[in-house]
Amino acid sequence: MSLLQISEPGGRPVRRAARKRAAGIDLGTTNSLIATDVDGEVLTLADAEGAHLLPSAVHYQVDGATVVGAAAKAQAVADPANVIVSVKRALGKSLDELTDSGDYRQYRFDSECDPASPAFVTSMGVRNPVEVSADILKTLVLRAEARTGEAVEGAVITVPAYFNDAQRQQTRLAASLAGINVLRLLNEPTAAAVAYGLDTREQGNIIVFDLGGGTFDVSLLSLQKGVFEVLATGGDTALGGDDFDRAVAAWLADQCGLGGMESIAARDYPAMLQAANRAREALSEAEQAELSWNGASFTLTAGEFAELAAPLVRRTMLACRRVLRDARMETEAIDNVLLVGGATRMPLIRRAVADYFGREPLQDIDPDRVVAIGAGIQAEVLAGNKPAGDFLLLDVNPLSLGIETMGELVEKIIHRNTSIPVSKSQEFTTFKDGQTAMALHVVQGERELSSECRSLARFSLGGIPPMVAGAAKVKVTFQVDADGLLSVSAEEASTGCKAEVQVKPSYGLDLDQVEQMLKESHEHARADMAARALREARLEATRLTDAIVAALDVDGELLEAAERAAIDRALHALRQAMAGENAALIEERTEQLNHASESFAERRMNMTVGAALRGESIDAIDERTE
Amino acid sequence: MLSIADNYFSQFELPVGYDIDLDRLNGQFRELQTIVHPDRYAAAGDEQRLRAIKLSSYLNEAYETLKSPLRRAGYLLKLQGVDVEQVDQSDLDPELLFEQIALRESLAELPKDESALDRLDELSRTTGDRLARRQLEFAACLVGRSAAGSPEGGDLAQAKKLFHELQFLTKLQAEIEKAEDAIV
Repeated sequence: MSLLQISEPGGRPVRRAARKRAAGIDLGTTNSLIATDVDGEVLTLADAEGAHLLPSAVHYQVDGATVVGAAAKAQAVADPANVIVSVKRALGKSLDELTDSGDYRQYRFDSECDPASPAFVTSMGVRNPVEVSADILKTLVLRAEARTGEAVEGAVITVPAYFNDAQRQQTRLAASLAGINVLRLLNEPTAAAVAYGLDTREQGNIIVFDLGGGTFDVSLLSLQKGVFEVLATGGDTALGGDDFDRAVAAWLADQCGLGGMESIAARDYPAMLQAANRAREALSEAEQAELSWNGASFTLTAGEFAELAAPLVRRTMLACRRVLRDARMETEAIDNVLLVGGATRMPLIRRAVADYFGREPLQDIDPDRVVAIGAGIQAEVLAGNKPAGDFLLLDVNPLSLGIETMGELVEKIIHRNTSIPVSKSQEFTTFKDGQTAMALHVVQGERELSSECRSLARFSLGGIPPMVAGAAKVKVTFQVDADGLLSVSAEEASTGCKAEVQVKPSYGLDLDQVEQMLKESHEHARADMAARALREARLEATRLTDAIVAALDVDGELLEAAERAAIDRALHALRQAMAGENAALIEERTEQLNHASESFAERRMNMTVGAALRGESIDAIDERTE
Repeated sequence: MLSIADNYFSQFELPVGYDIDLDRLNGQFRELQTIVHPDRYAAAGDEQRLRAIKLSSYLNEAYETLKSPLRRAGYLLKLQGVDVEQVDQSDLDPELLFEQIALRESLAELPKDESALDRLDELSRTTGDRLARRQLEFAACLVGRSAAGSPEGGDLAQAKKLFHELQFLTKLQAEIEKAEDAIV
């Protein structure tokens, strides 16, 4: 590499003289908050009644009024179909995902809409999750504007670190619909660490354990001299306090002899969940809680609750383990554990976390408010109100990004937990002789097959000069900027022909894709491996049969009749195997065909005729560096 | 202003070599990122922001290359003019290949339930120990060679062999972790 001097003209950005009103918004599954600068300190804002938490519930009333917050939540039992709650969990999901989960059983979904982008039918018409989220955001911004007497010029909105591209895009879209200028989407755990870091000047490695209403995030950050570096992040986008309520509700249904959740009427479901939620919250303070249902009373002890919650707690601990492993760190290296999210008030969670990390977690800052406060602080910096020298956030890419290659296999280009911004390239080659175009399919996720990852974009690179298979060199470059926006470009080396696509949150982007969540990749890891083996075997077999058929066309006369018959038999046998699902059989018959055609290949080589017959090509090198 | 140095080590003011002061690497990386990170230019023009993204990406790549033991080894060889993408037959001992195949097969044959965890732990430990040993040997092979690729000192051919073994072992380690993930 040559010595290259790059100078930054101007160095630092010019700071505006006038302050801009900036805010941090925590758009939560159960509750949402807004924080802004109040006399030099970033604080969450309360509504006229003094409540800081805005319940993330929206009531679309028959009279055409949209009510957001506590008043809407209060109607959840009386008018379940028209009060949308936990909408955050619906962002970026398909109709099947919503109905399969059972979490949205009280709602009717629009039968006209694309099943990939479901919408609720309410008494005020059809509302999709983005619109419902926008109504919550609008309410928060109005609160800030009423309180400060100024228009909010920019906001930082937090998302779970584990949110995938679709979920992030829909969050951003909701903000745009609400008329908010988004300065940055910030990962919730990072926001929490910002709030703590500036208060206490902590140094060292920090675990942020964030169990909210509907999502669970765990992140490992390192803080030194005001620089926060996310070392690894993980979690579960479908695990939260709501699940503990559901576990209690299921227990209650069982106690009532209702025989499981399935038999509960849709109308009764919200009431049962509310009863369960009250009991769960009571158990944070007491050793037992009383529940009543249809006139009958039941007692749930802390011990019984711990049993109901054990599988959920276990899932959170597994995520912690994985994050530590990703960062190659032991629990002893952790200096601080921060608890975020109302669900971490549960004593059994605090205990499990303290046991696992071997230290008492910090909770100096209200776990419900800490994320909004951190977002508010970052908003101040990005708006230019606070000197940027105070701190810096170095974030990572939460989900792997890759390209679909032959046989639907995904080649990961940017692995999860890579520091962003980042730019990475990889070379690909053509599969067939004379191939002049290459279709590129950009996907996001951890699974090995492209059909099981989220599809982000498709584009194609044309104008590749005809060459033998494997000769063209197509360089594909992925760039992710600090906001997590991805752009992809491809270039053929010998001709320099280029194609480019921007994958970023915008109205133009296809939001309607169904996605499989990362958490499932564990469950499917084995099925993936088997499927991958089959695809690889078929791919290898296709390469060999194509090559042999082409060679027979050209040089068939080199063969004796008996030799020819042997090759034809092996070819036929392999094709039969390829039609089946048995990878081992395909491999075996590929080997047999290789063997049958060995002397033919040798003779062709000896004649130095054209392409080699051995079924190897440059992209088949199995052992990759990473 | 950021000067792009002629190699990743000097970028972070570290001596060229396999043994690395990770604390110093972290410290230097953070210091440089505070200068170039795009968040520093939130209010600046597009051109400056773009340049900030490029420089910040470059630093991230340099940092991640040096931080990872395997990537650091590959990078050191690259600095010595060794093409690690090019794998020659002589780089791979048949014994090593057979052994790796056998290890992988034994991994694939393990039961897919919790009864395999002890065996996986053991495999992970032996692989980790061996990685550590090979890393020491690799470092020793490069001792005495300067960044510019001086002709004397060290044993590049052996270093390349060791690098490929490190690749196998790192990949095996990842497969073991994946197998564990599939169970728990």
